[in-house]
Amino acid sequence: MNILKQELRMGRKTLIIWCLSLVGVLSLFMLLYPSIASQLEDFQKVFESFPIEFQQAFGVADLELASILSFYQFALMYVLLAGAIQAMNMGVSVISAEVREKTGDFLFVKPVSRNRVVSMKILAVLIQILITNAVVFTASLIMVTLLSTDSYDVELFTLFTLSLLFIQIFFASLGLFVSVFLRRIRTVLPISMGVVFIFYIIHLLNETLKDEKLGLISPFDYFNLSEISKNMNYDSLNLLLWFVLVGVFIFLTFKLFARKDLPSI
Amino acid sequence: MNVIEINQLTKYYGKHRGIENVSFSVEEGEIFGFIGPNGAGKSTTIRALLSLIHPTSGSATIFGKDCIKYGNEIRRDIGYLPSEVFYYEHMKVREVLNYSASFYDNVDYTRIQSLAEVMDLDLNKRIDDLSYGNKKKVGIIQGLLHEPRLIILDEPTGGLDPLMQQKFFELIRMENQKGATVLFSSHILSEVQKLCSRVAIIKDGTIVRVENIRDMQKHNYKKFTLDYRGVIDVHHFNLEGVTNLTVDESTLHFLFKGDINRMVERLQGQNLINLLVEEPSLEEIFMHYYQKEDQP
Repeated sequence: MNILKQELRMGRKTLIIWCLSLVGVLSLFMLLYPSIASQLEDFQKVFESFPIEFQQAFGVADLELASILSFYQFALMYVLLAGAIQAMNMGVSVISAEVREKTGDFLFVKPVSRNRVVSMKILAVLIQILITNAVVFTASLIMVTLLSTDSYDVELFTLFTLSLLFIQIFFASLGLFVSVFLRRIRTVLPISMGVVFIFYIIHLLNETLKDEKLGLISPFDYFNLSEISKNMNYDSLNLLLWFVLVGVFIFLTFKLFARKDLPSI
Repeated sequence: MNVIEINQLTKYYGKHRGIENVSFSVEEGEIFGFIGPNGAGKSTTIRALLSLIHPTSGSATIFGKDCIKYGNEIRRDIGYLPSEVFYYEHMKVREVLNYSASFYDNVDYTRIQSLAEVMDLDLNKRIDDLSYGNKKKVGIIQGLLHEPRLIILDEPTGGLDPLMQQKFFELIRMENQKGATVLFSSHILSEVQKLCSRVAIIKDGTIVRVENIRDMQKHNYKKFTLDYRGVIDVHHFNLEGVTNLTVDESTLHFLFKGDINRMVERLQGQNLINLLVEEPSLEEIFMHYYQKEDQP
């Protein structure tokens, strides 16, 4: 428990900043809604006059901007993107920080097994992800409720917002795996930004290509918001794939780190 | 009983040699020195004992248990002070020490306070405000606070001023008298001579030999540097125990082993500007002592 407490303490400030930023990004978009709601139908017409490939690339093909959830879907995409970076950051740094900050010689000579250290650190990341999601969920629920003029589909809202949780868990576990796989990590942000953006670009590409196999690569496609709103559910194959990949990443994290040599200072 | 037993321990980092077939054992209750020049493999050996790295081949046991397999069990009774200490920068000293203590059962928390008083360390400062020497003190306290049965010190004195070194040695001696076994790695021979009963000497990744410090003291070399005002009389120092005699313009260098009084007598009447008597570096002793010893 002491390791968990320590991790949460050390991550506190960063967590607060990320939560504020995510809510900030969301509010920025959502607060536009009341002022442009009346014009949205015109926007819609403008978008519709564009070639379909263009619409798809910008994620506006199936959008009905006039409804609050469609608008929310549009805004949420950016929160998913930022949230993915946050989660991957946590995943990459939580173990590698001990090497980078050279505190490994303190922690790993204590009478705890490496597996226990790794479990506690993963638990700490999970808790921070849950807190982030609780904050984002509450904030967006308040905003959507206040801004909507009609009633909206709460189930769809929940499905939309929960995709942040799944995407964050995916990127956190990928980050953990990357951090134990690479020999030494000097800076975290370039790695997580790079990986997240590559997946995001694949997702954008696939919005136009609509290729099934390509759709299996990017976690942004597993939780494709337009698909979710069409089917009113997550895709079960994608969900399974998510589950397997997260499992494999976590398993390899334990496996690789147990055998890893900690470089001396 | 042997507290540490190292058997043919080998570690390669890829193709790069760390240590090769290192074997020695440390008996319960002794202060065991581990000396060798930088890069000889002292830290590699110690890091393998603490299972921070995994040996390529060979094995080591501590308290009779394999140190990789039973690592976390064994580490309950080990206190470790690395050569360079790093802690969580944004924490206070007290918080780091409490965190450290929280890993052990039955820790006497008043010991933190009393050790801090001995070492003259402010517990309320933040780690990133501490000087190098003060960080080292945090390291000493966190290494000793759980009263370990085995203390492993990896070049511990760097950054400590002479007074603190003295206090530190006293602390180590006290722990030793209470029954703790100590493995003390250093590249400074005199330090090891002061404290240890036996030493292992490592060079280029292999153990050159293990011996009693008393036998070592027979080879108590001093390095002399003499600055002459006039002409150097080289033959004046042609006596038993003088080696490596070199002349560099008006300066004379040599190593001397033997009764120091004889040398003092011999120095009388010499017309000198300056005289320097130093502890020779380990390299110098190694080169010398072993070349000679190994010849029949």
